[in-house]
Amino acid sequence: MTQKRGIILILVIILGAVLGRLAVRAAMNFLLGGSLFGGNFL
Amino acid sequence: MKKGEKGRMMWGWIYAAAFVTAFTASAVLKLFCNPLAKKYAVTWNDDMGNIYTDLPYGEGEANKFDLYVPADNSRKSYGLVVYLHAGGFTSGDKSDDADMLKRFCSMGYVAAGINYTLFGADHPQANIYTQSQEIKASIPAVKKEAEKLGYPLERMAISGGSAGGCLALLYAYRDADTSPIPVKMVFEMVGPASFHHEDWAPYGLDRSPEAAAKLFSVMSGRTITEEMIRENDYDEEVRDISAYMWVDKNSVPTLCAYGAYDKVCPFGSAKHLINALEQNQVPHDYIEFPHSGHGLQNDNRMFAVYMEKLNAYLERYMGVGEYR
Repeated sequence: MTQKRGIILILVIILGAVLGRLAVRAAMNFLLGGSLFGGNFL
Repeated sequence: MKKGEKGRMMWGWIYAAAFVTAFTASAVLKLFCNPLAKKYAVTWNDDMGNIYTDLPYGEGEANKFDLYVPADNSRKSYGLVVYLHAGGFTSGDKSDDADMLKRFCSMGYVAAGINYTLFGADHPQANIYTQSQEIKASIPAVKKEAEKLGYPLERMAISGGSAGGCLALLYAYRDADTSPIPVKMVFEMVGPASFHHEDWAPYGLDRSPEAAAKLFSVMSGRTITEEMIRENDYDEEVRDISAYMWVDKNSVPTLCAYGAYDKVCPFGSAKHLINALEQNQVPHDYIEFPHSGHGLQNDNRMFAVYMEKLNAYLERYMGVGEYR
């Protein structure tokens, strides 16, 4: 594995983790109300 | 396929799998892991107290309560903390709040979770007013049962979340004068305390007098017509379910929390309660969750503030130290 591929893999994992939490937050906000950003980290 | 292309394709699959795994894992963690849950949870064991479930207080199927009594039954008197469950007046159960009731019990209070008849196909006549009357009828039974078990109740706090918060506020402001146990404080989260159609915009009630008349009629158990909504002439009809209308200078200290984005218990409806508390100089703390909705789900920092305030209120008005 080259260093470049390793960095891309880490970035993909971070992106997945961020989007996963944001997706849940967005779904909860849709049901209950709430802002997408601010307050809790993600 | 050339070797280089095969390698790129393999890495493409690895990236995709890593993304899906990270996305799913983080979503599941977000859904099921609350970093604050552990901080306020109690690991219950029988040395802490006893739990008596489904004790009756009336004839109705739902007229039951659970009583949590601390292990130490040597004191002359105890404080009672009542917590009323959420569920939009149509669902929910006292067992939903077992963890919280255990926590209050572990603090030395007698704690009670009380069910009330829910509005639905089985009970189309149930409404906020009848539910509040059931809560009112339950308190003497809670007192009697606690005394029978050796826990005389001298003071009480009433609380709840959402629908339970609404009922707690009604008991605290409307029914406290006739309570067999002196009410010392009320604390609640996201409970509707007022019913003015212009505040209930998320339900479209500000634009539809017909919808407002129907919903408020169901909630209050009184006949409210479209005409009354149009002319803004229905205060008397919703008075018995509007906690803020019962606030006066003698009202009990209040700790309440609302989410600025709440669209279930519309945030606009909270202002009447806050104004009434301020105008009547009732000791109170209003905690606003600026990024949250009905679940108060996006402001853990404010939740911690609420819990700190709650501990301070309990100590001040319910005498935690005094009775421990």
